[in-house]
Amino acid sequence: MKKSFIAAVVALAVAAPAYFAFAADDFAFKSQIEGRQAFMQVYRFNLSILGGMAKGDVEYDADLAAASANNLLAASKMSNGAMWPMGSHTEAAGLADVTAAKEAIWSTYPDIADKGKDLTEALTAMAAVAGDGLESLRSNMGAVGNGCKGCHESYRLSRD
Amino acid sequence: MGVFYIGSIPNPIKQDELPEHRGDTQNGELMFWAGGCASCHAQVDADGDEQLLLSGGLEMPTPFGMFIVPNISSDADFGIGAWTDLNFVNAMARGLSPDNKHYYPAFPYTNYQHMTLKDLLDLKAFLDTLPSSSNNAADHQLALPYSIRRGLGLWKRKYLKREIPALNVPSTPELERGRYLVRGPAHCGACHTPRDAFGGVLADRFLAGADSLEIEPGADTDSASRIPNITPHDDGISSWSQSDIAYSLESGFDPDFDSFGGSMVHVQENMAMLPAEDRAAIAAYLKSIPAIPSNQN
Repeated sequence: MKKSFIAAVVALAVAAPAYFAFAADDFAFKSQIEGRQAFMQVYRFNLSILGGMAKGDVEYDADLAAASANNLLAASKMSNGAMWPMGSHTEAAGLADVTAAKEAIWSTYPDIADKGKDLTEALTAMAAVAGDGLESLRSNMGAVGNGCKGCHESYRLSRD
Repeated sequence: MGVFYIGSIPNPIKQDELPEHRGDTQNGELMFWAGGCASCHAQVDADGDEQLLLSGGLEMPTPFGMFIVPNISSDADFGIGAWTDLNFVNAMARGLSPDNKHYYPAFPYTNYQHMTLKDLLDLKAFLDTLPSSSNNAADHQLALPYSIRRGLGLWKRKYLKREIPALNVPSTPELERGRYLVRGPAHCGACHTPRDAFGGVLADRFLAGADSLEIEPGADTDSASRIPNITPHDDGISSWSQSDIAYSLESGFDPDFDSFGGSMVHVQENMAMLPAEDRAAIAAYLKSIPAIPSNQN
């Protein structure tokens, strides 16, 4: 279970420089903004494993599903407040192209923290059953998606 | 002479044009979710059955001024509970109020006009079953010249076009259904197609992405939301398969397993209420439309 988490982190370390190459070289809160974007990639990598199975693109693998669900749950419990310093929002000078995080994250705090708890709750349910069969996995994807959308609906600027 | 029709001065549908039809609330509910009624008319954080209380009141700041969403609950005084079938059909298909005034196209009748009269009557039958609210939603607060409602007659003359462009691939029932849903009830183009300075959609840039018309509180123009290009172009979603599109509408995850955000969250949750074959039909149609680059120049 730990192995795929490490694999994800390693994959990120390799991919991240290319992924962020479009951005300015130097901007305020660089390490925090890059850190939280990498953190989101960890979610996405593990979700793609569960989602690929749920969607039917990849054959169901109980061990891998359980491991990925546990990675997601672990990620949702990680302390990540240091990645979100006040002032590091997309509306701030010079940050429009490097972050989509809206100022409302801070101005309406702690709403986002409550939404984070909803995600942890959905992932707790997912982690409990992801290894029990494809139907269990599938039936929990919606709640996990709601957990992601809970923050992305209000706190991430939509871009194309 | 086909369905070609240009709306200009109030030109309502007449009673004898309505089909003999007993409203089917089951299909009406499908049209309710396809049409996204609750996304604007329910309370902002409404969840589950709360979405069925269409009390209005949502404030929508736009470049034209502040639109305030009306109460369309079944309340006879504050909602639309006293409306006849004919009133309802004229609102949806002609953008006309029961007293024959033009509605602003923030209410997407430019899309709803493409719905069949039967689907509209079914939707009315379903809305009639929903709870009532006595919320008295305020009037819009618009700047001149937009505050002159009668001017919408001219707007309609230019923009309210009833014909739908033909499929550019051989027709199948699935593609026809997808075209109907996308162009009509689901009103995808209301956000995904750019508009001109008067708010008319640019038909030759259908679904090629647009700046959001909703003004984000505190946001400057550099950080305005962008509504993505969903044509099968490299700038759009050409890399998404039909099943990717359908699954995204079901689950809220794009093919890279990023989640939808912003106003698409509501839309996707509405689409998730449709039968799987309707999401597949929408996906099939989106794969069939012209590929258009995002660059507007």
